[in-house]
Amino acid sequence: MSDDVLYKLTNVTKSFVKGKEKITVFDNLNMEIERGDFLAIMGPSGSGKTTLLNMLGGVDQPTSGEVTFDGGRVDTLSEGQLAGWRANNIGFIFQFYNLMPMLNAARNVELPLLLTKLKSKERKRNVAAALELVSLADRAGHKPGEMSGGQQQRVAIARALVSDPKLLLCDEPTGDLDRETADEILGILQLLNTKFNKTIVMVTHDPRAAEFAKRTLHLDKGEFVEKELVT
Amino acid sequence: MSSLLSQMWTVIMMNLRSLPQRLWMSLAAVFAVSVVVAVLLSFLAMANGFEETLKGTGSENIAIASRVGSQSELNSTISRDNVNLLLGAPGIAKDANGDAIASAELYVIVDGIKRSSQTEVNIPMRGISPTGIELRENVEIVEGRMFESGRNEIIVGQGVTKEFQGFELGKRTRFGKSEWEVVGVFSTGGTAFESELWADAPTVQSQFNRGSTFQTMRIRLAKPGNVQPLIDFAAAEPRLQVDIETESDYFSSQGKALQGIVTLGWGLSIVMALGALAGALNTMYTSVAARSTEIATLRTLGFSSLSAFAGTLAESVVLSVIGGVVGSIAAYLLLDGVTASTLGGSFSQVVFNFRLSPELFKQGILLALLIGLVGGFFPAFRAARMPVLLAFRNAS
Amino acid sequence: MSDLYLVFKNLTRAKLRLFLTLFATFIAFMVYALLTAFQSFLNSGVDLAADDRLVVLNKINFTQPLPIAYVNRVRALENVIDVVHLNWFGGYYQDPQKMVVTMAVDPESFLRVFNEYVMPETEKAAWVKNRQGLIVGKKAAELYGWQVGDRIPLNSNIFSQTDGRTDWDFDIVSIYTGEDEQTDTTSLYFHYDYFNETQSFGRGMIGWMGVRTDDPGNNEKVISSIDSLFQNTQYETESMPEAVFNKAFIEQIGNIGLIISSVVLAAFFIILVIVGNSMVLAIRERTREIGVMKTLGFRSPRIFRMVLAESLLIALIGGLLGLAAARGIIYMLSQSSTPIPTLIIDQSIVLKAVGIMIVMGLVTGIIPAINALRLNIITSFSRT
Repeated sequence: MSDDVLYKLTNVTKSFVKGKEKITVFDNLNMEIERGDFLAIMGPSGSGKTTLLNMLGGVDQPTSGEVTFDGGRVDTLSEGQLAGWRANNIGFIFQFYNLMPMLNAARNVELPLLLTKLKSKERKRNVAAALELVSLADRAGHKPGEMSGGQQQRVAIARALVSDPKLLLCDEPTGDLDRETADEILGILQLLNTKFNKTIVMVTHDPRAAEFAKRTLHLDKGEFVEKELVT
Repeated sequence: MSSLLSQMWTVIMMNLRSLPQRLWMSLAAVFAVSVVVAVLLSFLAMANGFEETLKGTGSENIAIASRVGSQSELNSTISRDNVNLLLGAPGIAKDANGDAIASAELYVIVDGIKRSSQTEVNIPMRGISPTGIELRENVEIVEGRMFESGRNEIIVGQGVTKEFQGFELGKRTRFGKSEWEVVGVFSTGGTAFESELWADAPTVQSQFNRGSTFQTMRIRLAKPGNVQPLIDFAAAEPRLQVDIETESDYFSSQGKALQGIVTLGWGLSIVMALGALAGALNTMYTSVAARSTEIATLRTLGFSSLSAFAGTLAESVVLSVIGGVVGSIAAYLLLDGVTASTLGGSFSQVVFNFRLSPELFKQGILLALLIGLVGGFFPAFRAARMPVLLAFRNAS
Repeated sequence: MSDLYLVFKNLTRAKLRLFLTLFATFIAFMVYALLTAFQSFLNSGVDLAADDRLVVLNKINFTQPLPIAYVNRVRALENVIDVVHLNWFGGYYQDPQKMVVTMAVDPESFLRVFNEYVMPETEKAAWVKNRQGLIVGKKAAELYGWQVGDRIPLNSNIFSQTDGRTDWDFDIVSIYTGEDEQTDTTSLYFHYDYFNETQSFGRGMIGWMGVRTDDPGNNEKVISSIDSLFQNTQYETESMPEAVFNKAFIEQIGNIGLIISSVVLAAFFIILVIVGNSMVLAIRERTREIGVMKTLGFRSPRIFRMVLAESLLIALIGGLLGLAAARGIIYMLSQSSTPIPTLIIDQSIVLKAVGIMIVMGLVTGIIPAINALRLNIITSFSRT
């Protein structure tokens, strides 16, 4: 495996039982994500986008197959180990921001740092830097309820960044935002990718969002399909 | 107006029908109220049972004479001379021979063992005459036989056999140097006399070194309740140092002994009701929050804010009243008729039964209702003021 | 920021609900503290009873008398250090409805046998010297506004003087205090001689005796030697350690312990249900947030602990406030001139209460904590 490959899925099968029916989402899926990539995954609902994202994020495990991240196996980790693995390696950005309503922006950003051994002072410094990066230093003391959707998503990005993860996973990051704000958020993601060399995987069904990525994969019925342009 | 009423009715029924969706929260409120009501009723039932027992003991037909200022039978002493003087007083009923119907009695305390605690307690032993027994209504020997005069024999009240040990039928027991035999068990229809041991008065006098003195005298009145001639007689006779009152007055003042329990019961219940109120408010605020979309939708449709208010208040009241009823039933099943004993006015045990009454149930339900009204009012107010706009926001 | 900060922020986000749950907890622990303090007052007669003190009663019942000649015969027994005799006077001051515990005793032996009553030596001497001297407990003195030097009449509802009067005059020579905070100071003691010579009946009889032994280990021996000494006499005795007598005396009133524990149990049951339910609800509302925290990498046991910490905080804050309020109420009662006993919330009550708070906190938090522990990240997002 090349050093450039961060994430590798080999012959991954994912199925689950719903009622009496057995549903197979992926059958022998193979995939590689290189370091520094900005990958957009598109596809209609039910295509397996969310399941794929869950597996990449280590919140869901494949039924069979191998998942390697940064040279280590992920699919063999226990639930507890996975939690630690996520804290160290993955930053999450959600469609509905998922900030803690009772915490202000700075404390929301600080949350993942509670999972590190950093001292309070270092944490504060990292939080300030992350908020600076998303241009929200002046909103540090505001609670989510006092901020616009775009601002909330920027806080969420800062939260995803603050522990310096190897991979950022974005689930419809602009799905709840207007065009202008969405572009702003996507601009930040693009900047993180180009300037700070962050590897990003973004699930979206917005073709314009996908344009900000370096490459786009289309998922349909659990398989990647060639499809260069979507109208 | 009628449309307003039907609106309110619709909303109230909607609320009540949606109760099962908030099952656990609602059950918590019901439970809290039922516990508070049960606590209240147990205290009230205790005091009520005690009071009923003593009230039922005293008769309007009988006057009781005791030494001035003695306040209880135990503390009193009356000499033979005083007894004889009193027999000549006016206002006393006479028998066929024209003799005054009266009974001079002794009241001493002996040790018994309380079954529930296995500790020594004070049991009253009454030295009594056949006339004295006739003066009590409903006396009935339910087991064994009557004591014979001149012998160390006792008959025991049913309450005694229930609560205390050492006085079973046929048992011999020693009081000091003398030995006594239990020859019978009597009932008096649930009065305080059932907490006593009865024996022949002259025998008690001699065995307890009382010489010729007695402690109290019971006198049948010529006219029920009319003790004034006796009181006047005693006041005019300097050799008589006695207080005279009707037996029913004597016992009803003793029946008040547990009034403190009533105060304590209400005090504790009100404090605990505040705790239950917190639960009710919690439940109702949660209910209003859970139904916010529903309420706003109804308001959008044109239902008045009053109907939203009524719906929430009704829910709260229904829950509390259910709690009150459950608590009352629990108290009734667990406590009504339970026998207990405590130290009564004469420093001796009085056996009584916990007794619930419709009046007590009313008080319990009233407390529940109060919790329901207060616990529902503020959340209902919030429901009434809920903005109509919310319907659209939450629906999106 | 720490986990505790997160717990605190979660706790305080729904202020009204927090207030209501705290209030319910507050009430329950206030009731607990007050009732337990009352129970401890009732038991104080047992707890404070001297180990080396016996009570000698008439075997028939303690309301039956004993001859005064018994005192010297008991005093002569081996292992007996001292004996005092006491008579119940049936006293009241002005109001016949309000009994004042009044006892006729022999002052010298009384002071030797009952050494828990504290008063200056000069006043002790004054009492022994003054035949009409009366010593008054501090609480009784406060209640009736008596001062040392006052001359007061006390009535008896049992005895009368030879001239028919039922009142005796006394000089208050001392207002005694107790060695322990819970020592009874509501009682009055005066000279047996004064009483015996002036009363009209039952002279030469005493109510019961207090006996001090040389060692509690000899109590059983002394008990059997006293009771066998008077066996088969007109006045048989029954002797027992003071604690045993005091306990039986309280039991006469009824099973107060059972009543108190039932009420306390009921109060705790209420908050168990109310707080437990409200915690379940609070955590359910936060399902999505817990899912997010788990996604970020917070391990389930850590979240489990945070939920438990939250319910523990409710129990501890509400409970401690309840204890403080109970203390306040007791203080206010002690300042008022009502004949209410000295209630004390001592360390053992506080420690027990804290123990119950911890149990309460854990019990009310355990179900939501397990729910949070088990919460699956994927379903947590689909549930809202």
